[in-house]
Amino acid sequence: MNYFGLLVGITTLFIIGLGFPLVIHGERIFGFLWWPYMMISGIVLIVFSLLIRIDWFSVLIGVLGATFVWGSTELKEQAVRTELGWYPFNPNKLRPPFEKIIKKWKAPHL
Amino acid sequence: MNMLGPIAGITAFFSIWFGHVAVRKVEFLSPTIWLPTTIFAALGLTVEYLSLSTAHRPLSTFFGILGITLLFDALEFTRQQNRVKKGHAPANPNNPRNAKILAEHCSATTFDLLKREPIGHVISTDESIHLISNL
Repeated sequence: MNYFGLLVGITTLFIIGLGFPLVIHGERIFGFLWWPYMMISGIVLIVFSLLIRIDWFSVLIGVLGATFVWGSTELKEQAVRTELGWYPFNPNKLRPPFEKIIKKWKAPHL
Repeated sequence: MNMLGPIAGITAFFSIWFGHVAVRKVEFLSPTIWLPTTIFAALGLTVEYLSLSTAHRPLSTFFGILGITLLFDALEFTRQQNRVKKGHAPANPNNPRNAKILAEHCSATTFDLLKREPIGHVISTDESIHLISNL
């Protein structure tokens, strides 16, 4: 029996679980326009995981990166949820650098 | 170079994506919840067994993550049905189970209220439906 994959799967479930409050609070404080920064952070984490020799740590960082990339695609929908009153709406969000350019891009949703 | 991290990350991303889309579509179309729940749970357990059976670490990682997400998707069918009851996901009037939800829950709707761009301020459900209808 090789328990590595099962333990990785269970750990992944907990890390993805962290993605829910990350998206909810991240959208509330920063707003959905920060999605490119969240996506790039996730991609950097996945690439960085290549350089980690310890298998467990590499996997943790890889999955954390995937959670960030996935979270970046959820920010827009979360913004709509707050506008519908399903979650608290914050009118004073922190504006991202290069906001005008980001606004021209269509925020991803999968 | 350690490929395990990217393998885990890419597997996690695509299995979450697959589950996200599959749960919404299957719940929308399936007349029962128990059947897709059972199928996904059985698939999840089978994939986890494959993960336990292989000595190959990258394959074990792939199966391990895929299996757990399939098992979580099995639970998500019930959660998605609850979203439909609350109007947080669209009900399908041509699906007898969803049609019953529409009849019994005044909050249920056939509109996908999330299918629009954010506008930067709070709006009512009726205003949101108006926005979606004009798309």
